[in-house]
Amino acid sequence: MRIKALATWAVALLALAAPASAGAVTLIGSGSVAAQPVLQALFSTYTKKINHKVHFLYTANGGNAGVKDVQGGKSQFAGQARTPLPSDAGTTYVKFYLDGLCMDVNPHNKLSNISIQQTHDIYRGLITNWGSIGGSGLDTTIDPVGRDTNGGTYNFFLQAVLNNELPSSNVNALTADGLVVNAVKQDPSAIGYAGLAWQGRGMKTLKVNGVPCVPKKISVEPLKYPLSRYIWLVLPGDGSSSPKALTKFIDWARRSPLAGEVILKAGGVPAFNKKRKRHH
Amino acid sequence: MQGEHLEEYGPKWSDQRAERLLGALVCTVVALLLALIVTVIVRAWPSFAHNGLAWFGAGGSVEDQLNQVYLSGLGDAAHYVYTFHAWPLIWSTMLIVGGAVAIAVFCALFTSVFIVEFAPEWMRNVLQPVVRFLASVPSVIYGLLGVLVVVPFIGNHLVTESQKSSVAGVISLSGYSLLAAVLILTVMIAPLMVSIFSDGLRSVRPGWLEGSLALGVNRWRTTWKIGVRTARPAMVAGTVLAVARAIGEAVMLAMVSGSIAFAPNPADGLIFVYEPSRPLAPTIVKNVEALGSPPANSTLFAIAAVLLFSAALVSLTGWVARRAMRKYGATA
Repeated sequence: MRIKALATWAVALLALAAPASAGAVTLIGSGSVAAQPVLQALFSTYTKKINHKVHFLYTANGGNAGVKDVQGGKSQFAGQARTPLPSDAGTTYVKFYLDGLCMDVNPHNKLSNISIQQTHDIYRGLITNWGSIGGSGLDTTIDPVGRDTNGGTYNFFLQAVLNNELPSSNVNALTADGLVVNAVKQDPSAIGYAGLAWQGRGMKTLKVNGVPCVPKKISVEPLKYPLSRYIWLVLPGDGSSSPKALTKFIDWARRSPLAGEVILKAGGVPAFNKKRKRHH
Repeated sequence: MQGEHLEEYGPKWSDQRAERLLGALVCTVVALLLALIVTVIVRAWPSFAHNGLAWFGAGGSVEDQLNQVYLSGLGDAAHYVYTFHAWPLIWSTMLIVGGAVAIAVFCALFTSVFIVEFAPEWMRNVLQPVVRFLASVPSVIYGLLGVLVVVPFIGNHLVTESQKSSVAGVISLSGYSLLAAVLILTVMIAPLMVSIFSDGLRSVRPGWLEGSLALGVNRWRTTWKIGVRTARPAMVAGTVLAVARAIGEAVMLAMVSGSIAFAPNPADGLIFVYEPSRPLAPTIVKNVEALGSPPANSTLFAIAAVLLFSAALVSLTGWVARRAMRKYGATA
């Protein structure tokens, strides 16, 4: 809520500073932390190269909180990392781009592949020692790290790995993806999950069921990497009431080759963007 | 001319403009405060009403209960679930606040005695601004320090593998712990105490100290028996402020205390201080997104009501203690 208030003030200040560029539009969004790096990259490219008059303000307060903001009219759009739930009534989900939820361990860990079943057992508290998982080269107690309930990533993990059972009490639920990365980086016995955009920051990314967590393998239809998912944009109502500037941006972000490159560079996988023609 | 002027506008009103304006402002603030208290209690009432005194008791997993409460709020009002037993959260708050305040009082007392009575002039001139600065550092900075330095240190160097495996599957001893929370909270509240304690020590009448010294009592004994004793009301005031800040601290504790509503058990031996827990205030922070569900909303407001009530109780205790000690003189 505090973040929301800050954002409101920031908008008010922007509005004061704006008269220089008359006719400018500021689009307000909130939601998924996992989608933040990609969204920010798209925002700045759009403002710089496509339309100077459209500005964006995005608060990464977690996908579920973002949907609440859209329902309450506090945001014009939300980033979301899980599929629609009954509690999302009054909103429209638009498939945006693809993302993979990678399983990560500390570089000291020799493990290179983990199965969904093993992940399930670790996060349900059934396997508690690295010794029970062949190939890790460790025999220490596992420190599983996850997200708290404010994150859409948490819900996706619950659906995709835990069959909607709650994680066991030994899972440390942290408030942000960055804190998960930090925890895995600093603890040799840790295991955690984070989106593609967060990979390679002092963590070792595991294959899941033998499939590597890399952009090439991220696909939902057909499913290749088992923890592939869509990142969604959530709009109020049936989506038709959104401002023109927003629908134009979404169309650009989903279709244009330039946006596709930006998404890829920022750690996502473009799902619908046309490929730029190659000149030999 | 001048007299007419005065009569025309009335000396009374123009004289009292300031106090009436300020009075109105104060009344508004008091009214807002009352409105706040009433709102919190009204919102919290369903949760207390459904649980009774068991709200404060132990039983079941707080995590499961919160989840059930939240999910029931998505259905219709007839099936709302309110069952909630907050003991692990309350116990965690008591341990962390109690531990931090106990250590901080001890450290702050001797630090302020040193700063006021024994430190050389140049050192005092350096220490005082530093202490005041430390007292105003935002808590999230301490939280970062905890996550990046203290937590990994405890997890990787203090906790042993046999300790970890002894509680495997129940909780993780990965550094997010009672110890980390108490240490950082102590560092956070001690400067506040030092700052108020030293104000109190400075306001002790010099004549009393000089009198004692003139009788041949040595410096330490004079400081301890006259200075510290006289400044006791200030120390109570400082402690009250620090306790209030500690009870309400949410962001830093959410980052380092561990996120599981687990009640650390002193019977577990040394492991006890490495066990994770979650106090009341961070529980609200971690569950803000559940506010949309009416029963969860009520439960979180009930936690807020308990925090509000504890803060009020601490203030009241401080006031009573200060009254009792007023005869000793010096206040901050």
